[in-house]
Amino acid sequence: MSNQKRGLRPVNDTREEALVLYFEKHIGRRAFILTEAFPFMFIGKIKGLLGDIVILDVQTTSVPALEGKVWNIHIDSIEVFYIETGTGAKIPHLKEHSDEEPA
Amino acid sequence: MTRRYHVLAIPIRIVLNSFGDHNPNGMMYVLKENEQKVKNLVKKNPFSPVDLVQPLVIRANEGETIELLFENQLNFNTGMHFQQAEYDVCQSDGANVGFNKDTTAAPGESILYRLHAVKEGTYIFSDLGNPASGENGSNSNGLFGALLIQPRFSWWTNPETGKTMNSGVYADVHHPLLPSYREYAWIFHDEMEADDLTGNRPINHLTNQEEESFHGANYRYEPINRRQQLIEEGVVGPNTEGEEVHHDSWVFGDPSSPILRGYVGDPAKIRLIHAGVKETHVFHYHVHQWLSDPQDLNSEMLDSQSISPQSHYTVEPLYGLGSLQGAFGDAIVHCHLYPHFAAGMWGLNRVFDTLQDGSQCYPNGVPIKALQPLPDRKAPPKPTKLKPGFPNFIPGKVGYKAPRPPLGIKGGRGLTELERNAAVKNPRPGAVFVDPCPDNATKKEFNVSVIELPVTYNKQGWHDPKARIFVLDEDLEDVCSGKKEPEPLVFHTTAHTSICVNFTNRLPHILDGDAFQLVTRTYETGFHIHFVKFDCLVNDGANVGWNYDSSVLPGETIQYEYYADIELKAWFVHDHLFANAHQQHGVFGSGVVHPRFTEFLDSATGEEVARGTQITTRNPLIPDYRDFVLFAQDFALLFDNDGKPLQPPGFPGSNDDPGLFGVNYKNEPLQFRLGPDCDPAYTFSSYVNGDPITPILRAYEGDSIRIRLLQGAQEESHSFNVHGLRWLKQRKNLNSNMEEQQHVGISESFTMETYIPRAGDYFWAFETEEDLWNGLWGLIRAFDEKVPDLIPLSDRPEPLKRSRPLPECTGKKPPKAADPTRIPVKKGPIRYFDIVAFQVPFVYNSFGDHDPHGIIFSLREDMDAILEGKKKPEPLVIRGNVGDTIEVTLTSLLKLNLFPFQDGIYPYPEVKEQAFYPPSLRISLHPQLIQYDVKTSGGETVGFNGDQTVGPGESRKYRWYVDAPMGACGMWDMADIRNHKSQGAFGAFIAEPRGTEHLDPYTLKPVKTGTNVVLRNPFLPSIREFVTIMHDGVRLLDKDKHLIVDPLAGMILPPPDVDEDEVDTYDQGSRGFNYRSERLVNRYRKHPVLHDLFSSRVFGDPATPLFESYVGDPVTIRLVTPAERRRTHTFHLHGHRFRFEEKNLNSRTESFAGFNVAGAARNLELLGGAGAYMGFPGDYMYRSGNILWDIEQGMWGILRIHDNIQEHLPPLEH
Repeated sequence: MSNQKRGLRPVNDTREEALVLYFEKHIGRRAFILTEAFPFMFIGKIKGLLGDIVILDVQTTSVPALEGKVWNIHIDSIEVFYIETGTGAKIPHLKEHSDEEPA
Repeated sequence: MTRRYHVLAIPIRIVLNSFGDHNPNGMMYVLKENEQKVKNLVKKNPFSPVDLVQPLVIRANEGETIELLFENQLNFNTGMHFQQAEYDVCQSDGANVGFNKDTTAAPGESILYRLHAVKEGTYIFSDLGNPASGENGSNSNGLFGALLIQPRFSWWTNPETGKTMNSGVYADVHHPLLPSYREYAWIFHDEMEADDLTGNRPINHLTNQEEESFHGANYRYEPINRRQQLIEEGVVGPNTEGEEVHHDSWVFGDPSSPILRGYVGDPAKIRLIHAGVKETHVFHYHVHQWLSDPQDLNSEMLDSQSISPQSHYTVEPLYGLGSLQGAFGDAIVHCHLYPHFAAGMWGLNRVFDTLQDGSQCYPNGVPIKALQPLPDRKAPPKPTKLKPGFPNFIPGKVGYKAPRPPLGIKGGRGLTELERNAAVKNPRPGAVFVDPCPDNATKKEFNVSVIELPVTYNKQGWHDPKARIFVLDEDLEDVCSGKKEPEPLVFHTTAHTSICVNFTNRLPHILDGDAFQLVTRTYETGFHIHFVKFDCLVNDGANVGWNYDSSVLPGETIQYEYYADIELKAWFVHDHLFANAHQQHGVFGSGVVHPRFTEFLDSATGEEVARGTQITTRNPLIPDYRDFVLFAQDFALLFDNDGKPLQPPGFPGSNDDPGLFGVNYKNEPLQFRLGPDCDPAYTFSSYVNGDPITPILRAYEGDSIRIRLLQGAQEESHSFNVHGLRWLKQRKNLNSNMEEQQHVGISESFTMETYIPRAGDYFWAFETEEDLWNGLWGLIRAFDEKVPDLIPLSDRPEPLKRSRPLPECTGKKPPKAADPTRIPVKKGPIRYFDIVAFQVPFVYNSFGDHDPHGIIFSLREDMDAILEGKKKPEPLVIRGNVGDTIEVTLTSLLKLNLFPFQDGIYPYPEVKEQAFYPPSLRISLHPQLIQYDVKTSGGETVGFNGDQTVGPGESRKYRWYVDAPMGACGMWDMADIRNHKSQGAFGAFIAEPRGTEHLDPYTLKPVKTGTNVVLRNPFLPSIREFVTIMHDGVRLLDKDKHLIVDPLAGMILPPPDVDEDEVDTYDQGSRGFNYRSERLVNRYRKHPVLHDLFSSRVFGDPATPLFESYVGDPVTIRLVTPAERRRTHTFHLHGHRFRFEEKNLNSRTESFAGFNVAGAARNLELLGGAGAYMGFPGDYMYRSGNILWDIEQGMWGILRIHDNIQEHLPPLEH
């Protein structure tokens, strides 16, 4: 008999809710997120949540063309994440080394 | 659905170019419907190329059955053998193999072939009725073509007319759901007979010697010799030299060789086919990149790709024609081997930016043929007077060299009105007609010069007095004054960078003449780049088609600009104007595009650097790594200390393999490393001889490393091996093959990403015999404790303080390596092998060809039977399962009196720079791909590792560990590469899945060794495993004990004027499988009927391994090539396919495996098992794809597939 039939809450609901709450709690902070699919990595500031979708102001991804934009990431596609809470390690501000400032 | 074709094989005169060079004895396949037309056209145009005289290319769709009525109009039996297809081998093999029915057609006869197109792709067809190499064979004369299989439901049209078509090398392919694409068949071939207008062999107008052999594509070639003659005669190109305008359509008009036409952005597939008989070519296509496997998005990105005979690839340029940046103009397509390029093996990909409806002309008045836009793409704009489109806005003058680009040259000209109309919004140097660089890209600027200076290659003073190299301007003074050692320029950037290069030509106008070369006026050079995105009209660093000449004169500086969009490999840079004249002097380098945010540090000081062949990187996101770049070189034109030229060619200006070899402008020849006791076993020991002068790649134990492998010069294949470190073949794909070996041709680039598990000296080498002999080897040195001049990687633990001094050269024998078995095995079973090495004659076939001085590894228990002739010698194959510890006890029983050349000179097969190197009585056993400590069990005595070889009567132990089911791993001796290896001192280790039993296929009893076994595993199907060891460089005697001087001795139909000097050193020797060779010449002497030569009805079965199976049995072929020559061999199995990468389900499936050269190891799991999916029984030939000279030399055998139970062969239990 499934958990649902037993009247228990599905574990996925619990997981999703915890994730949503955790991201909500850290709105305004920087997050590092790895996804299984392209573009695999995001670093950016959490702007808010739309249901179970994280709205991220993306500073860095693996692809320069996707940077400086707001991306909506479904929490189910997040494999690994880290949020800079002020107590742990800082997420590096990644800079490219240019001979001149970009135009 | 069944698709039907009626194909003829006909004799035809093939005119190869507009200069009238031709093959009077050409042969081609042609559709019956074109037979009369082509014959009439050739009759009317005896001295001009005829379009219809082209290799036959026909098409069908996946899933279709093709019924092909083949009619032979030649005067010998011919057929059509199809690769890739499934077919009844007894009805449609196009050959006469084993006990099959003869499926060639006699003169005047016809035969029906029925083929099943099981999968999209390229199905090469060629003749096997006449397997002779040379000009009397059929393949070298043109008897080949291709059946191109398209996605289901496709149809195809003529690109010029838009009408449906039945055959042709170019087609537009359409589909109801998928995008249309341009399809171009690019069929390389070589060694075709070519005569000039007078019917004689073409003479080189500069050397007055016979020209290079034919190297072309699609029955055409455009040699520099012919074009340069027009300059000499004053017809065109005043004041030009030759090579710099070889590809210039402004001077000569378009070449006769293929021009692949399309519009910007068109999807395209180049079906790259090697139908030639001999050489491994390198296909390079300017401006574009493609995936090595179009089916696998994780496969490697390439822009240059080696291809060996009878193999093929599909090149699908990423982003379509013109690449990401939408470049237009002429992108040259060529064989990167410069002598072949010069001989005429090139063509163009012409990308138009305006609509061609047939009403326009090129600047020289030649009409531009119409080109239908692809129906699902927007047609480009029509040309107008103000915007005439490429090439008509370029201010060139017909008959003169192409103009220089606007803006690029410092102090040069601006734009004309027509150029301004064609230009981008913000034209700037190097980016005038397309802008490859996004605004927000990081900018990096490099100032590069090309200079000439003497460079010394080794400790003995071998030197190139006229070396030419790229240097950064800031290093100029230090390099020229000798403060900095010259090395190939490697500069480093990160992805998403726009790279500006200010390139200054500081070369003298003249490349002086000497024993190697004629005086050449190399007055302009360019900086041609691979991989990065750029405007091909003005920034190619080349002079191609109707483009600009983007090179500079001495003293001038030109500005180039490129965009590195993503992490790239080490992209190759070189001069494209006089590459054939001076690239072998060192004019090559590389830029490495690392992941974004990487910093580059000097490995000794930790300071930031911009260039270097060995650097350390730091990255905030991914593990730090050491970055090492190695460039292989051949044609190194060196002189010894006394000024004597080393290996000069027969005459100056000859491209017949002049000179020697180098790696990063260095070499460490083995002849100088015999210690005081003259034992080759210690050649690689740093105790005896000190470290080699060649690169020692330095790291700490546990470091991640990336080795960037390139070839800088000039014509030959090289085989890079690292002993004890393996890497993923496709870096991004975890299901990819693990390799320890990589074949490389000029301009190719590979990244070997790995880490160093244990401290010690790891051996790297370009390991074919002649390369290694002449010094292409070095070390990877992993330190266990801190050394002062090597910073640790920032994300690795700090190395421990040094507790004992580093070893030093003593000039004496190295100390013995520790016994690896002193440490108890913690876990898992141990498999023991007691192996002896001894000498025994090998009989290679029933005709008495034999090697009286064979050296064999065998289990001790088998030695007596082998010596007594009760057991036939075969290479030692041992097996272990995942989790097993392997303990090998090796004993040398070598005897000096059984070596043929005890005086120390091995006369044949020879290597360049023959020298005293007496046979070693010591021997060792080195395995590939499994785990061991290089300090005790690498089976070699290398660097400051201890001695791991054994002397006569001595034994030592090696301990190996099988950590993964690697399958085939080569195994060979490393004590004496001249006197042991090609004589048989090799074998294979097969790493099987855990729990596998290894059984004799005929008794089903467990065995410890054998090339033919049944694998039984509780979790896997039972599998028949056939181990084929492909080897060459063999010294055979015939039954009368006369030396067989192969390959010429093995030619069936030798030309009357056969010249032994024409055979390169690396083609010398006999060859075969598993100490066996079924040389066709023996059979031909007995029964001189060409198409019967593979027939077992006539001759009985061949001496080479006969592998047997039942229909549907799972079969894995383990293919290993331990020895030894530089010529690569293609392996082809009739009627079957296998995945290129056996564990990668997205892998392409093919019936060939290319580049079998020293160190190659492959696992071929036959799809559908024996008899393939359709399950046809019969005799399937496995063989080399090299008609010249492998098949004649006996590199073929039979896989016999039974449909009825045979008494002697128990079935696999299911």
